[in-house]
Amino acid sequence: MQNGLLESIKRGETVLEARGITKRFPGVLANDRIDFEIKAGEIHAILGENGAGKTTLMNILFGLYQPDEGEVIIGGKEVKFRSPLDAIDLGIGMVHQNRKLVSAHTVIENIVLGHPRAGKILDLKRTGHEINELCDRYGFKIDLRAKVWQLSEGEKQVVEILKALYRGAKVLILDEPTSALAPPETKKLLASIEAMARDELAIVPFITHKLPIVLAISDRVTVLRRGRVTARLETARVTEKSLAKEMVGREVIFRLERTSVEKGEPILQVENLSAVSDKGFLALKGISFSVREGEIFGIAGVSGNGQHELAEILAGLRKAEGGKVTLGGRDITYCTSLERWQMGIGYIPSERTEVGSIGDFSLVENVTMNFYFDDAYSQRGIVDYRNIRKLTQEIVSEYSVMAPSPDTKAKNLSGGNLQKLILARVLSRRPRLLIANLPTQGLDVGATEFVRNKLMEAKKQKAGIILISEDLDEVLSLSDWVAPIYEGEFMGIIAGEETKRDRVGAMMAGSRSSLFPPQVGEDEGGKET
Amino acid sequence: MRIGSHELKIEKRLMLVGWQAAVISILAIMFALALFSIIFVLAGINPLLAYQEIFSYAFANPYGLPLTINRFIFLLLCTYAFIIPFRAGLWNIGMTGQLYAGTLGAFAILFAFGGKNSHTAELSPEILIPLMLIAAALGGGVLGAIPGFLKGKFNINEIVVTMMLNFIVFWLVAFMIKEGGLFMNPGGRGESFELPPSVYAPLITGVPFTIFLGLGLAVLLYFLFAKTKIGYQIRAYGHNPAAARYAGISTFKIPLLVFVIGGAVAGLAGYHYFAAVPGVYKIARNYGFFGDLAFYGIICGLISLGNPLLSIPVALLFGGLSIGGRFVQGKLHIGFGVDYALLGVLMITLVAFQFFYRYRLVLRPLKGSDE
Amino acid sequence: MWEFFARSLEASTIFTFAALGELINQRSGVLNVGIEGVMLFGATLGFIAAQSTESYVLGFLVGIAIGGLLGLLHGFFSITLGGDQVVSGMGIWILGFGLTTYIGNPYTGPLGMERIPTILGLSPFFYVGIALVVITWFVLSKTSLGLRIRSVGENPSVAEVSGISVTKTRYLCVIVGGMLMGFAGAIYSLDYNPVWNYNFLMGWGFIALALVFFSMWNPFILLGGSLLYGTLWQLSLNPQLILPGVMSRYLWRTVPFVTTLGVLLIMSTKWFKTRWGAARPEALGTPYVKE
Repeated sequence: MQNGLLESIKRGETVLEARGITKRFPGVLANDRIDFEIKAGEIHAILGENGAGKTTLMNILFGLYQPDEGEVIIGGKEVKFRSPLDAIDLGIGMVHQNRKLVSAHTVIENIVLGHPRAGKILDLKRTGHEINELCDRYGFKIDLRAKVWQLSEGEKQVVEILKALYRGAKVLILDEPTSALAPPETKKLLASIEAMARDELAIVPFITHKLPIVLAISDRVTVLRRGRVTARLETARVTEKSLAKEMVGREVIFRLERTSVEKGEPILQVENLSAVSDKGFLALKGISFSVREGEIFGIAGVSGNGQHELAEILAGLRKAEGGKVTLGGRDITYCTSLERWQMGIGYIPSERTEVGSIGDFSLVENVTMNFYFDDAYSQRGIVDYRNIRKLTQEIVSEYSVMAPSPDTKAKNLSGGNLQKLILARVLSRRPRLLIANLPTQGLDVGATEFVRNKLMEAKKQKAGIILISEDLDEVLSLSDWVAPIYEGEFMGIIAGEETKRDRVGAMMAGSRSSLFPPQVGEDEGGKET
Repeated sequence: MRIGSHELKIEKRLMLVGWQAAVISILAIMFALALFSIIFVLAGINPLLAYQEIFSYAFANPYGLPLTINRFIFLLLCTYAFIIPFRAGLWNIGMTGQLYAGTLGAFAILFAFGGKNSHTAELSPEILIPLMLIAAALGGGVLGAIPGFLKGKFNINEIVVTMMLNFIVFWLVAFMIKEGGLFMNPGGRGESFELPPSVYAPLITGVPFTIFLGLGLAVLLYFLFAKTKIGYQIRAYGHNPAAARYAGISTFKIPLLVFVIGGAVAGLAGYHYFAAVPGVYKIARNYGFFGDLAFYGIICGLISLGNPLLSIPVALLFGGLSIGGRFVQGKLHIGFGVDYALLGVLMITLVAFQFFYRYRLVLRPLKGSDE
Repeated sequence: MWEFFARSLEASTIFTFAALGELINQRSGVLNVGIEGVMLFGATLGFIAAQSTESYVLGFLVGIAIGGLLGLLHGFFSITLGGDQVVSGMGIWILGFGLTTYIGNPYTGPLGMERIPTILGLSPFFYVGIALVVITWFVLSKTSLGLRIRSVGENPSVAEVSGISVTKTRYLCVIVGGMLMGFAGAIYSLDYNPVWNYNFLMGWGFIALALVFFSMWNPFILLGGSLLYGTLWQLSLNPQLILPGVMSRYLWRTVPFVTTLGVLLIMSTKWFKTRWGAARPEALGTPYVKE
């Protein structure tokens, strides 16, 4: 039942206000007397690093958590949310970062799910008309009868937005709206957001580090640091630099130090590799490239463009449909994953809890995952747990993995510590070829920095590294070569430098490098400088 | 929930220590026995009296005790047949079919050596008994290979496959021992031919040598899971097949291996019951009952949490309950199927107690109460 | 010959009811492998109730009720306690198998009541079964409730955020499913073969489970599968009607089970697998934990 608090709101009136919001969790004060307000037709961004309290505040505004102190005020009246349903009924809509959609169902089924006005029998035709009206109004283009799993990330986000709008949302909370989008999709989204604001909706994007987006779209910015509001600014009056300073509290260096290492022989050669995804369509369409010792080869792309399948094929976890993979001169196309570990390939998977570790096993037993087949640690069929335990203790201290003991179960580790353990385990094998699939995903600043440093170290030790990442800046700053991937093809292979950012961004979204005026000549492997 | 000045809360466990799990299992058994006493009450019998009769017959009676021990060996082997795939995260509910297959294997050897026709044939046990053991293990193992292979190669649900095979082999046994089947008893009677006395299993103080098989397996399996490379791989696969695959463990070989070994052990259980227990020495008309009894292996395996050493006392207890239950059924005139009913109650109690492996009840003083 | 087909259709009815019950369960994400146990209870308690009161109506009501109760029990273990659904299902099976052997023993033998009248030569439940298939299809694909159930089975956290109580929806499905399974058991013991004997169901519950997998959660394919199985079962009991003297009757009894294995194999081929994988409720078998 729609509560009419926001029905008659006009442009410029405050729709949502949070006063003195405080929330405590065991051991941490997540939100400390936060004040925030947004008016109809306004776009007011909330900016802060991971751990600054953004997520908590967002969840409170959305009704998932109850604040310990403070009030939430909608349309001038104080409200208490018992659950997200109350928030939805009052006109607050949320668009999550990890999409809350049923992938097997169609767009329209997702939008209409749980809608109070949906009759007993689904009348999808009428609903379809109503939704199409919304699409026209805000410039969304989407096929209502497509199944969600077939959609791109940007389209999925549109579905979530439509779902909130169809439910009558007047305030839209967006969780990292552009993090999974390629630059052209981002432009489209920003245009739609502006259209919604013109229509007197209030939009609150929560952003971590896409400062240019904040500058491009918002009217006002509230910066959070360590649970408190540290600045409330008019966007017109700030710069990227000043914003970053507010976020972190000190001068921020945007460029990571990239070490220069003498490149060795090619360690990996991939020729014309093609593969089929789990859903049955062609995920990789004839990819070729090579990686040298001491070189970081970065693959930049929005997830779902074939990079995951590529990583799995190189690690031996997926069969290629065609093509050849050579390691140090040896054809390994048909080698099992066990053989690859033994030959010096190390794989850091993107799913650290589902694939990279075994939650119910202790740290020692997790380390065993990459050593049970190693003669040094298991002889004549018997595993030398004592030795592995020693190894575990060494790497735990070297990588500062915070855990009470080597017998702690892996599921009790935080994301950052688990990733450090996996990294430690794989890197201890001194792999000749390291494949890192989204190694810093979901990690806080400290852990991210640590992981990147370790990758640099591995590079110095002459490992050939393939870095797969969705973070364009990360790829550009760490890699020697960058290959943007789009729909199973490399759009080009370019030397990694900050200044090429726009170009790489465009390639990630499908434009080929040939559309740009040619730069200095080519070198083997089709690479440009 | 409030109790006086304290509050009873349910909390998720962070860790489950071995002895805590054992305590929960013991509590589950006791609770089940208490619950089961309702059946006695409904039949008009004092449950304490009934339990006393059960336990004294099973463990203190000169006729009952050997029966209990024989049953214990049978159950222990069935439990291992369940546990081995269970540690790999797979459900072997086909030990019934596997034990029948093992039995058929053992009897095939006898048949091949002419044991069917001549009851008094002088067959040499030194050759035949080992051969029968091998054939039994082979029979069970080959049958086990079917669900193992189907799971490993095609990821086909092992529960349905093993259950189907149970019925298929059940009818195969009927085919072999009834109405002109190859193993039919010359006198008909819907059972198999009898074992020639020369190949009766050797007894040690009245107990068939298979007890050493069982206990030996206990130690072997414990060692296998705790220390060996293959044991590690099985456990890793059991906890997280995707991670195991990532670590280079074969998601084809492991299911196949555990089901073959599990099936082989079940086959040995078949040899034990039908060829090694004094007084049986044939595939009886009511062979189906032993097939059903094999399901106790599932419960045993779950209660002992997949630990081969813990299975020993549990299987012994169940053996006693089963024998004692049958005895009490006759002596106190309770209806047929008391042991079946006990099986059912035990299982469902255990399912309920699974909750306590993950959560615990804590008594906390309420905030603001004075101490 | 007509008799053979009539009996086949009547046998298929039981498969239909039981499998439909499980299909509803599974669409909401709950796996119940103990169908056999629920059916045994429905059959046994229904039989006892009907015989004791000389009333078919009461017998069926009891069968349905106990089915619902067992569904509730399974729901309690799987949903509220969040336990392993396979363990719970196995528990219900062994409980059923164990308790009904004991409880039903005194009633071994024929029901001793006048047979339920047939419509057009077939048991009336056959028609009810077909109606239920159509109703299930309609509810699942054309109504809001159906969308809710399906969403809960695919992605419960999304459903919860959209305002749907995952718990209530799953309990509903598990109870209704259980009722259908109990009903199936009662039909067996009161109409199809009104004689009580220990473990008389002989694996039908597991076949029903396999049927749900084959059907790719589509009620119509499920109906087709039931018809096939009904026929196979009758064939295995009376092979002489179609193929006299071909094999020992004991070997014929294995036919339905061997066929199941065969179908499972077909289902594992690439063609089938991608479709099957896509049709499978994503959250099947996973307990839902609220954030």
